[in-house]
Amino acid sequence: MAAPSMKERQACWGARDEYWKCLDENTEDASQCKKLRSSFESSCPQQWIKYFDKRRDYLKFKEKFEAGQFQPSKTTAKS
Amino acid sequence: MLLLIWAPKAWHRLSPLKPPALLWTPGGEARHVRYRLLSRQGPGERGRQTQPQGPGFRTRLLITGLFGAGLGGAWLAARAEKERRRQQQRTEALRQAAVGQGDFSLLDHRGQARCKADFRGQWVLMYFGFTHCPDICPDELEKLVQVVQELEAEPGLPPVQPVFITVDPERDTVAAMARYVQDFHPRLLGLTGSAEQVAQVSRSYRVYYSAGPKDEDQDYVVDHSVAIYLLSPDGLFTDYYGRARSAQQIADSVRRHMAAFRSVLH
Repeated sequence: MAAPSMKERQACWGARDEYWKCLDENTEDASQCKKLRSSFESSCPQQWIKYFDKRRDYLKFKEKFEAGQFQPSKTTAKS
Repeated sequence: MLLLIWAPKAWHRLSPLKPPALLWTPGGEARHVRYRLLSRQGPGERGRQTQPQGPGFRTRLLITGLFGAGLGGAWLAARAEKERRRQQQRTEALRQAAVGQGDFSLLDHRGQARCKADFRGQWVLMYFGFTHCPDICPDELEKLVQVVQELEAEPGLPPVQPVFITVDPERDTVAAMARYVQDFHPRLLGLTGSAEQVAQVSRSYRVYYSAGPKDEDQDYVVDHSVAIYLLSPDGLFTDYYGRARSAQQIADSVRRHMAAFRSVLH
C-alpha cells in the first residue's frame, strides 16, 4: 500500500480539521458530527485515524490540565 | 633576593662577604652581578658609616620590575604553549571524528549508493522520518525546506543540502522515497537501505525509532525521535533543532555556524 501523496495528505488533514471543528462546536458530542466523521474516515488511512483520535484525546487532556482542572488527591499531599 | 634589593641595611651586612661565597647559593650568580653593579662602595666607603647607602630607589624599582616582567613573560609563554598543544590535540580529534564518525552506506532515491564522504564540502540538514507519517514528518520537512529556501535566496551563502533518511526501510523503497521527496524540494535527497544499514545510521545519529503494531491493512506508524541535524562541510555533527524551533530560528542558527566555520580537514 503506497504512502499517501501530498494531495491525499492535505485532503485528509482538511477532513480532520472539519471534523475537529465540529467537535469543538458541539462540546465533543460525536453524534452531531457523524457526516464529517465518515468523510474523515474515507479520506485517511486507518492508522492515521487512530493516530489523530489519540492526538485529539491528548490535546483535550492537555487543555484541561493547563486549565488546572486536575488537583492532586489528598493522599499524595502527604507523600 | 628581592628583599636584599629593598632592604639596604641587610644589603650592607652582606657587603663584607666575598663575592665567590655568594656564587654557591642558587641565583647567587645573579646576586653577584647585582652586587657588583649596584655597590657604590669604593675606597671611600668607610668614611660614610652614618648613612646607609645601597642602590637608589629608582634602581631598586627597575630591578624588581624587570624581575617581575621576566617571571610574567615566562608564565605567559608557558601558558601559550599549553594552549597551542591543547588546540592541536582537539583539531586532531575532530579530524578523526570527521572522517570516521557518523558514516553511512545508503541508497538515494535514484538508486545510487551514498556515504557520508559524498557530502564533504557541503552543509547538510538531515531529517529522519518515514513516508507513511501522518503529520510530523511532512511538517518538519516543510520547515527544513523553508530554511533551505531562505538560505538559497541569500547571495554569498553556500548551498545547504537537505537530506531525508527513512526509519521504515521495510516500506520505504527507492521508488517510494522518490515519490515522497518530489513533493518538497527539487534538491531534497531521500536515503534508504536495508534494515541493518538504517539501524547503523540511526545509531550513529542517536535516532530512536520503533515500528508500531500492524493493523488489518498491514499499515503501521513508526514512533521516532524528531530532530533536524546540521552537519558541517567537514562532516561533523554541528547542531540539532527540535520541533519547537521555527524555520527562521533554524536559518539564523545555520547562518551563525557558517560564519564561524573553520575547516579541520585541510
